[in-house]
Amino acid sequence: MLKIYNIHKVFNKIKILENVNLDVKQSSILGIAGPSGCGKSTFLRCVQKLESIDRGTIECGGRTGFMFQDFQLFPHMTVLQNLTYAPTLKDKKKKENYKKQAEDILMNLGLAAKINEYPSVLSGGQKQRVALARSLMTNPDILLCDEPTSGLDVSTTMDVVTLLKSVNEQFDVTIVIASHDLDFLTKISDRIILLKGGIIAMDIDPRIHEAPIDFLKKYY
Amino acid sequence: MNKTISNFLYIGSGIGFTLKLTFGGVLIGIMGGILLAVLRYSGIGRSFINGIISFLRGTPLLLQLSFIYFIAPDIIGHRFDLLSAGILAFGINSSAYVAEILRAGIESLPKGQFEAARTLEIPRFYMWKDIILPQVVANTFPAMINEIIAVLKETVVIAMMGGMDIMRRAQTVAAEQYEYFLPLCMAGIYYYGLVLLIGFIGKKIENRNYYVKNL
Repeated sequence: MLKIYNIHKVFNKIKILENVNLDVKQSSILGIAGPSGCGKSTFLRCVQKLESIDRGTIECGGRTGFMFQDFQLFPHMTVLQNLTYAPTLKDKKKKENYKKQAEDILMNLGLAAKINEYPSVLSGGQKQRVALARSLMTNPDILLCDEPTSGLDVSTTMDVVTLLKSVNEQFDVTIVIASHDLDFLTKISDRIILLKGGIIAMDIDPRIHEAPIDFLKKYY
Repeated sequence: MNKTISNFLYIGSGIGFTLKLTFGGVLIGIMGGILLAVLRYSGIGRSFINGIISFLRGTPLLLQLSFIYFIAPDIIGHRFDLLSAGILAFGINSSAYVAEILRAGIESLPKGQFEAARTLEIPRFYMWKDIILPQVVANTFPAMINEIIAVLKETVVIAMMGGMDIMRRAQTVAAEQYEYFLPLCMAGIYYYGLVLLIGFIGKKIENRNYYVKNL
């Protein structure tokens, strides 16, 4: 679904990503762990083409959706407008269809009551779900999530685990998550890679590993 | 007493001219300012636009007005009446200040707003029109109101060219009657009243726009 060949990225003469190779299977959930500044977000941004790569190839077998760490909802639009604005621009005739699709997604994510609210009145967890819903409106094959649990409490973090897992199953979406929260990543991922100094320092399957968090911490 | 009232009304009859200059100028200023700000942020002709803005902010408004009124006809072959020349001069001058206000507004937005628009494949024109500028205008609304007030007060420059605005009429009354205190006070009342009115309307709009308050 997503194939990465030997990518390099340099910022101000500092190597952020170095010789990263990766093959992400369809419908899987890949976690990218690593300390701050290790290149997790840059990696996702390169896949989304928000950053250019200096060397290597990224083969993306489908549409990508991107969830920003700080959500980046449009504050002057209601929840519904946030979801329907971009698709409606592409095809104005399907405006009603997109509205219905948005309502369905919001219903699924437990946000039906917030449809006409502005982002400023939503809690962090609700904004998170609206951001997810907005990404899903583009019918992505791969969902890239940058630190989806930063700033969320333990209970909301668990909600995000459930939510992303259900999205993964229900919409058959491949998910790539960058996070420094090892507990969260081990709960949700089929596979975790540890990025350190721009290279893949570790690549494990947390489901079959005895103590994945302790193991990853050793290499942190 | 009658003379005072008739003087007051005579000076007040310049409000129309002053307001035409102000709002004509502000309209051109906002359109020009948006254009300059967006082009500059997009990197199109950045040095050239910086040069224009620097020149417009760095030279006196009276000089720019004189240039448009006296010299432009020799260059473009068309003579503007004083009102049109005034609107054009105030508008062009204001566009430089509006561009600077918008620059601050654009730079204060999170970079992620642009990136979110990109990831959602929103075309550039719509990104500016529907995503970025509404937020920038909301963020810079008080500064925009200040700019309208500044343009209003700067319109007195037209009096030096003979334009019959509030100020010129006050000067005319003063010169005819050898009495400066009352006519200038009357002009001051009109200008201050207009400034208060613009401020009041601005506040009303700000309060009515839900999202302006919730950004």
